[in-house]
Amino acid sequence: MSATLAKNLGLRLLYALLSLLFISFVTFVADEISPGDQATLLAGEKATPEAVLRLREQLGLNRPWGVRYGEYLGGLANGNLGNSFHGTREPVSVIVNRTLPMTVTVATCAILLAALIGIALGTIAAIKQNRVADRTILILSTLGVTIPTFVLAPVFVKIFAVNMDILPSGWSSQLAGPVWMYLLMPVVILAARPTAQITRLCRASMIETLQQEFIKLARAKGVPPARLYLRHGLRNAILPVITAIGTNFGFLLTGSFIIETAFRLPGIGATAIEAIKKGDTPVIQATVLIAGALFVLINLLVDLIQPTLDPRIREAQV
Amino acid sequence: MKGLFWVGVGYLILLLFFAVFGPTIRHDYLNPVASPLQPPSGANWFGTDEQGRDVFARVAYGARMSLIVGFSVQLIALVFGTLVGIIGVFGKRWARDPLMRLTDGMFAFPDILLAILIIGVWSTGLVPVIVALSITAWPGVARLVKTQVATLKDREFVVSARALGAPTTYVVFKHVLPHLTSILLAVAMVDLAGTILAESALSFLGIGVTPPTPSWGSMINDARAYINTQPLLLVWPCAILSLTIFALNFVGDGLRAATDPRNR
Repeated sequence: MSATLAKNLGLRLLYALLSLLFISFVTFVADEISPGDQATLLAGEKATPEAVLRLREQLGLNRPWGVRYGEYLGGLANGNLGNSFHGTREPVSVIVNRTLPMTVTVATCAILLAALIGIALGTIAAIKQNRVADRTILILSTLGVTIPTFVLAPVFVKIFAVNMDILPSGWSSQLAGPVWMYLLMPVVILAARPTAQITRLCRASMIETLQQEFIKLARAKGVPPARLYLRHGLRNAILPVITAIGTNFGFLLTGSFIIETAFRLPGIGATAIEAIKKGDTPVIQATVLIAGALFVLINLLVDLIQPTLDPRIREAQV
Repeated sequence: MKGLFWVGVGYLILLLFFAVFGPTIRHDYLNPVASPLQPPSGANWFGTDEQGRDVFARVAYGARMSLIVGFSVQLIALVFGTLVGIIGVFGKRWARDPLMRLTDGMFAFPDILLAILIIGVWSTGLVPVIVALSITAWPGVARLVKTQVATLKDREFVVSARALGAPTTYVVFKHVLPHLTSILLAVAMVDLAGTILAESALSFLGIGVTPPTPSWGSMINDARAYINTQPLLLVWPCAILSLTIFALNFVGDGLRAATDPRNR
């Protein structure tokens, strides 16, 4: 590992750390400025203002915000996300542990599907540039980028659950079939936009690569087409595509809010929306914090993977 | 591509008329006017919804909501983002550095997550939606303006104006901003599509514009329950939302191509 690369990676790590701090700070401030705090809630509706003040003192809510932000960070480091305002005042960490696996499963399946199909379609479109296959793929990907998830969801339900009756229309507490049947439609719909974006990007990147000198040389040398396109072409064209996979993961997280609501999936997105409707601030904070942290970490991962794929980055200056 | 641009422009003009006159021209958008779940007819062009309200008027009011939210957010984001971008180049250090770090930090939040947080701790409704989406929209403008202004800063006409002793604000308004109007307009068109989508998504999730005020997103959400009995209820808002997004993208791309000096 060269010194410049180490410095580069150090900077990336620092940037990710600062992003995480920023996200935690924003979620902390959001609670500060939100109307009503824990004391007013715990004291109940009939409490006198004096009782609320006393409780606020007991809970330490009257201390300067800097101290409490430090405490908040300390709590986060120990996995303490506070308690829900409602029901049995369940710890938020328990709620997150219960709902996060569903969201991560759906999002991961969707991004894998999107990467696989996107790279395949993009490569085909680039090879068949300006032919029928290319035009068809371009039109499909334009549709995929512009038609929103919450339009696709009811349309798919109408076709596959109502008319054809081959897939369930949404999650239920008693599953009548294998789990993948319930996740198939959400995953495919969630993958639509990333697939389209990766396709377009992969096509553009591949077309640029195929015009390079070394491709002409390889072709002249008689390298067989499969090897030419995959080993010589795609391997060079794939870098911007990998970056796009990272940024698209952010869309998948917010997209999961919509898809989980549409299909009643018990994930972190649906939990967040429920919490907003009930005014459950600790749950809102935690879900946003975790979604944001995942986004930062995935993009950090992408940044770290890139040098192992491309020697040019490994050698490059910061 | 040029044909698509003009089709997009035509569609958007029609949409504007639809949003201004549609909600009240024939029927009221808030109260029942006929029996529920009627198919389209001469009296109710798009049929009626589950409460017997006129769907044509409601879709038109949804257009009004989308355009109000979209234009307000883009206007706020343009003004604030341009200001921050200019300070990022011409500003004093004490103003420049914190603002630029804040702009970078905003990119740590994916998509509309921050908007969801703001609405979550504040409230649902038209004003919170506009504020929340504006807060997520300005950093993109700021970054664009900053890179554009940074290249303009060293051009001869700016350097000579400053050498003649022109104050920075004069240079900015007279020599720098006019160069940015066309590219900002093009970007705002495409961003407008994103804002309209975000507003619909929030309304679909039930945390956007408060019912019974119609919005395309909440109409799509409500219509899902009647997918068997009256699927057309779903078709109208979905179709008009998708067409609007297409039109804005075509117009934005067309404007960008027209303003790109490489195409002259």
